[in-house]
Amino acid sequence: MNSTITTSQQVNLFDKLLDKLCLTPAGLLGLILLFALPLIPPFNQEYMLRWLIYCGFIAAMSVGFDFTAGFINIVNFGYAAVSGFGGYTSALLVINAGLSPWLAMAAGGITAGSLGLIIGLISLRLRGIFAACLSWFFGLALMGLATKLVWLTRGPMGLRTPRLFETDSNLPFYFVIIIMLFFIYLVCKWIVRSKMGLAFQAIGQNMDAARTSGINPVYYRVFNFTLSCAIAGVLGGFYAHFYGILTPDVMHTSKTVEVLAVAYIGGRGSLWGGAVIAFPFIFLMEIIRSSLADLPGLNLVIYALVLILVMIYYPGGFAYFYDMNIRKSKNKMLRYFFNGRA
Amino acid sequence: MITILVAVVASIVSGPYLLVNTIITGGMLALVATGLTLMLGVLNIAMFAHGEFFMIGSLTAYYVFTPISNYINENPDSFLVVIGPLIAIACAAVIGAISGIVAEKLVFGPLRKRATDNWVMNSFLLTVGLSVLLINLHQLLFGADFKGIVGYWSGMPISIADVFISRDRAMAFVIAAVVVAIFWFFMTYTSTGMAIRAVSQDITGAQIVGIDIEKIVLLTISLACALSAVAGGSLLFMYPSYPTVGLEPLYLAWFVVILSGLGNILGAVAGAFMVALLKAVTVEYIGAGWDFVVPSFLIMFVLIFKPSGIFGSDVRGALDK
Repeated sequence: MNSTITTSQQVNLFDKLLDKLCLTPAGLLGLILLFALPLIPPFNQEYMLRWLIYCGFIAAMSVGFDFTAGFINIVNFGYAAVSGFGGYTSALLVINAGLSPWLAMAAGGITAGSLGLIIGLISLRLRGIFAACLSWFFGLALMGLATKLVWLTRGPMGLRTPRLFETDSNLPFYFVIIIMLFFIYLVCKWIVRSKMGLAFQAIGQNMDAARTSGINPVYYRVFNFTLSCAIAGVLGGFYAHFYGILTPDVMHTSKTVEVLAVAYIGGRGSLWGGAVIAFPFIFLMEIIRSSLADLPGLNLVIYALVLILVMIYYPGGFAYFYDMNIRKSKNKMLRYFFNGRA
Repeated sequence: MITILVAVVASIVSGPYLLVNTIITGGMLALVATGLTLMLGVLNIAMFAHGEFFMIGSLTAYYVFTPISNYINENPDSFLVVIGPLIAIACAAVIGAISGIVAEKLVFGPLRKRATDNWVMNSFLLTVGLSVLLINLHQLLFGADFKGIVGYWSGMPISIADVFISRDRAMAFVIAAVVVAIFWFFMTYTSTGMAIRAVSQDITGAQIVGIDIEKIVLLTISLACALSAVAGGSLLFMYPSYPTVGLEPLYLAWFVVILSGLGNILGAVAGAFMVALLKAVTVEYIGAGWDFVVPSFLIMFVLIFKPSGIFGSDVRGALDK
């Protein structure tokens, strides 16, 4: 870090732009690769594209999840339920009020955000495992409502929703989710880099000490919950308008576990770790699931094993590994490539 | 007090079968919830995989009882008619205890050696992984179909106060009552039980007076898992064994634990009957399927206004981090 500052007193425009976008040259390359991916032969088939979209969805969810879990250190166990709530809101607005899906997705984000505001407010007094339990029960209650309010959500029969684009091709959906992923990452990263992120980390590490140093936990915790849930809501809207069908299953705890696993394997508190790891990981899982169809559940067994091993032996996840080994490369060019100049 | 009042009113209004249902579900729930409480109080593990030990118990009971019931069909006068189901349930308990020890040796032990800070949250996430692993191992090895039995004890249902209770249900309650009583006796009067309680109050203090922590940890985890497996085994006639059978008992046990305060073992027994009553009343007056929504909201209110549970408990401090 120090050597880069001494070598270049004035930072050129490209580096400045990269810094504003919170990307390193490696990150930029990765983003370009993601955009080019559907044009590269093995990935340009429609079913692979569907998997990639699902990867993108989980990646974006894990960024939003990590924004809460990695910084203020509260595991929002009802994350999938909040996301599903946003999805249902969006879908119902389109169906009953005739709103355009794009606007409805934003509305889903707003309603899910206000739900996050409520969860944030009522979980204020609770810490650690208690807050996780509260959000979990909230999620269970929401899922129960979605299952039982059959007149509104059609319950387990599934709600048919109009899709974002009228085409059969999955390509536009893929670009939308990648752009959404990037924007979500950008917003979260900007906030985390500001003074607010410092406050989040202080609250996450030791709430009493943070309060003593003049940080008001109420404001920061509620803000964090609201934003993270709003992200989940928008993504839920995307999910609804991509698959074209919504069942209460999207709100199930196992969906939260999926997001959680990706976020933790990627590395908590890094934001990008989960987003990066989601693509190879979820993609591999989908390959295993579809090619070994006579061994149902094998992909989830591997999934759980990886989660357990990472939790025990490498709690920092992929991001920690990257920071410790790859970033500290001896080669100056490589170091620039992995770190950027800022 | 309110619970008893509600129970009396409800049983007067809609018949005593509601009360009977409550008592049977509550008895089994008490087993699962005491196991969960034990894990929380002694090991500070917020167990998410406890339902999976319920599943292991019911699976074991199924595979043990199926040959026994075939044998019974051929020799109806055999002594196994009475003893057979008990053997199956005992096997469930043993396998549950063994799987608990395996889980401790393979999963929690390594984490305990490595992790220093944030143990509660990390171990919680670890149990989440364990839960997914066990559910899918079940699916992979035994298939996703329902593995159930018709009943343990055949014969005429017992009639108490105009309510007919099948023998299985009555026996399930008897088993639950006996196990909870033995467990309570064990925890209160034996020196091992006292050692477990000592560890749950203060690990360092327990170590100073010469309690072998490793042993207590192993014992606790095997006890907790065995309790859950007994519940699974004896409820096999109601809940056939399938991969995700453990989720419902898990949710309900968590409701109980939050309601009665984390780590409060006797409170858990009382809480189990409250939650069972709540569930029975909800199903009766609002409809099936609402039995998650209403208890969820009520438990949320408990969490918001009285986070230490209605009976209060001392272990909260350790779990707050």
